Amino acid sequence: MLATARTFSLLGIEVREVHVEIDVCSGGLPAFSLVGLPDAAVRESRERVRSALENSGFRFPQHRITANLAPADLRKAGPSFDLAIAAGLLAASGQLRAEQLAGIMLAGELALDGAIRPVHGTLAMAEAAKLLGCRAMAVPAANGPEAALAQGPRVVPLERLGQLTLLGTEDEPAAPPPFELSLNGAAPDSPDLSDLRGQPYLRDALEVAAAGGHSLLIIGPPGAGKSLAARRLPSILPPLSRSDAMDVLRVASACGLLARTATAAQRPFRAPHHTISTAGLVGGGSPPRAGEVTLAHRGVLFLDELGEFSREALEALRQPLEEGRVAIARARGAVELPCRFMLVAASNPCPCGRGEESGECECQPGSARRYRAKLSGALADRIDISVPVDRPSAKDMGAKGGVDSASVRARVVAARERQERRLGPGRCNADMDLVELRAAALLTPAARRTLAQGHAKLRLSGRGHDRVLRVSRTIADLAGAQRIEAEHVARAIGLRRRGAE
Amino acid sequence: MSGDRNGVWRLRRADSGYPAALLDLDRDAPDALYGCGSDDLVRRLDVDETVTIVGSRHPSSYGLEVAEELGHLLGAAGLVVVSGMALGIDAAVHRGVLAGDGSTVAVLGGGPDVIYPRSERRLYERIVTSGAVISEVPPGMRPGPGCFPKRNRIMAALGAMTVVVEAAEPSGSLITAERAYKLGREVGAVPGRVTTRVARGANGLLADGAAVIREAQDVLDRLVGVGMSAVRRAGPELEPELVRVADAVEGGAVTPDAVALAARMQAGDAAVALARLELLGYVRVDAAGRYARTSMSAPEAGEGVTTLKS
Repeated sequence: MLATARTFSLLGIEVREVHVEIDVCSGGLPAFSLVGLPDAAVRESRERVRSALENSGFRFPQHRITANLAPADLRKAGPSFDLAIAAGLLAASGQLRAEQLAGIMLAGELALDGAIRPVHGTLAMAEAAKLLGCRAMAVPAANGPEAALAQGPRVVPLERLGQLTLLGTEDEPAAPPPFELSLNGAAPDSPDLSDLRGQPYLRDALEVAAAGGHSLLIIGPPGAGKSLAARRLPSILPPLSRSDAMDVLRVASACGLLARTATAAQRPFRAPHHTISTAGLVGGGSPPRAGEVTLAHRGVLFLDELGEFSREALEALRQPLEEGRVAIARARGAVELPCRFMLVAASNPCPCGRGEESGECECQPGSARRYRAKLSGALADRIDISVPVDRPSAKDMGAKGGVDSASVRARVVAARERQERRLGPGRCNADMDLVELRAAALLTPAARRTLAQGHAKLRLSGRGHDRVLRVSRTIADLAGAQRIEAEHVARAIGLRRRGAE
Repeated sequence: MSGDRNGVWRLRRADSGYPAALLDLDRDAPDALYGCGSDDLVRRLDVDETVTIVGSRHPSSYGLEVAEELGHLLGAAGLVVVSGMALGIDAAVHRGVLAGDGSTVAVLGGGPDVIYPRSERRLYERIVTSGAVISEVPPGMRPGPGCFPKRNRIMAALGAMTVVVEAAEPSGSLITAERAYKLGREVGAVPGRVTTRVARGANGLLADGAAVIREAQDVLDRLVGVGMSAVRRAGPELEPELVRVADAVEGGAVTPDAVALAARMQAGDAAVALARLELLGYVRVDAAGRYARTSMSAPEAGEGVTTLKS
């Protein structure tokens, strides 16, 4: 007998519909074959399905069984096909009525005892099921809240394989409440800017960076609070809009981060170690998996020890930074992943970290020079703001904490609103193109003089000049000024990134 | 003197253009000098108008700043500046001279056509184009371990004064200074921070009686005579607030926060003031974003500035 169950295959953060066709022939020796480009985890599904069926009180048919995952040219990976295969098998062997599976999508991994384990990407699956006009979407109970976010078909949370018999009956498990978005206000456990003692210049730089979405480089010795400051950046970024929050959750769902950590949707903060591979950073592999840049979507990507990252990995960051998405091309088609993030990098001033002007630097002259060259070359044309920091003085450490995140965030939000009025919803100064920059850069005569002076005296390159202009626009937005004043340009000149001498 | 295929020339001790200053080394004087670039510059070397500046291969940014500035101004004032093209201070000295269109001679440890250190290839080419590179080692020979201390005696002999910018203890720069002293040449040193390791050598020289070199004028006062050749770079006049900030940088504040603290002003105002000073040329910033004072000085009160008293 023949039966079909429907499920999805996850590709990056998108899903494709997959039909699981099961044929149980009464002739021949008992066998169970699985076709349709399955990877190892999918092929092992046969063993899990057999045990799970038998341990859930079902009968595993002693016949020749063929399972086909269609379309046959799409590579299938991961354990999320288990549930659909088991359901198809039950229908094909008459243990489930075919109409019970009508209009329902199934996804879940099976444990040998028949329990259903969470899988990745159920939010995207539920959204796709909505587009396909399905009646219901059966998911592992742990994935229920995220799938319910799609506000699509009825979500059926399943704890055990045995519950399949309830599908389409009055006893079908009730839909779970959706995941709490709680968009306004930072999550209570997120670190606050008031932890940063002293260091007013660094605070200013963080505020400007957040207000304009500018990427930022912090240079200073160990213990100067570089990563402490970076970690507090999400708390001063504007709160997520509903659609941005859904973007964040879609990525988290596809990467299996939601079922485990059920906190409110907040801007992600990712801090990969500098030994990370290029594929780990920007995504890759087959089937394609999201990298750190995608996990940082709508949030902050923090690269500590920028100079230690491999040249290859840093080069690979260019396209994502520029376009806000990564395209991973594979022989069987390309996958596109979103990655609009704010880049924050930190670095020691020299390899030993003490800094050359400290007089305690122990670096070899050659190595210090190479380090500087690499540092100033690294993403040189992608970082708008650079800020030097020192260890806070004893006086700073004793001081009360500075302004808290909420007050800074209010100013940032106001500045972003000005930018959106000028550029359109969701846009900020960092992603202005040259035409927009020229239109937005209304300079007072004094500001124009200061900029011209900078051009001549500091030998700003064309790019450097534009970057100063962009950052001064943000500083003017923070000040609530229509026109960019000389003081704004001067501050932007101070914040600009310096090349190697 | 005789020409050679790679543009290397030779000056034997008996030749007429052999620098007289080297004869002060007596039996230690090199039998021949091999060189690339302008042999004319070497033949015209006059010890009274030549200064040798040396220093650490591992300097602080302060040391680099001073070295480049000294090279720039002394070269521009018409002195021939001799150094060793080593990484760090030496290279900064040459760069400074070249930036000021002055004349500079690099004394190498290996053959004059062997670029060492290799990373200074571009600097080497610029020196050969507008100055000269010399060595007592024949062309093609790579520098060995003993070459550099021997080379130092040539540098010491060529200049009427040897200035040490930054040097650890012990170091090649101190050997050069000692040779200069034994030859009866003047020795000068740039004071450094007493807590800094690379300043120990120079500060030690000062303790032993070396001339204090705070700026190019100090060298000129010694070599040419007091008040002979003013080389201070006077900048435009500053508002009191900018003077305070410039003083804070001069006082060792390197980050905007430290400057704000020292000048007792808001961080934002200090940042603006620093940017304006940078535009005016009073301060400059390294790749790590740290500020340092340049040698530019504010015009003296009275020179077109009305003071409150009058």
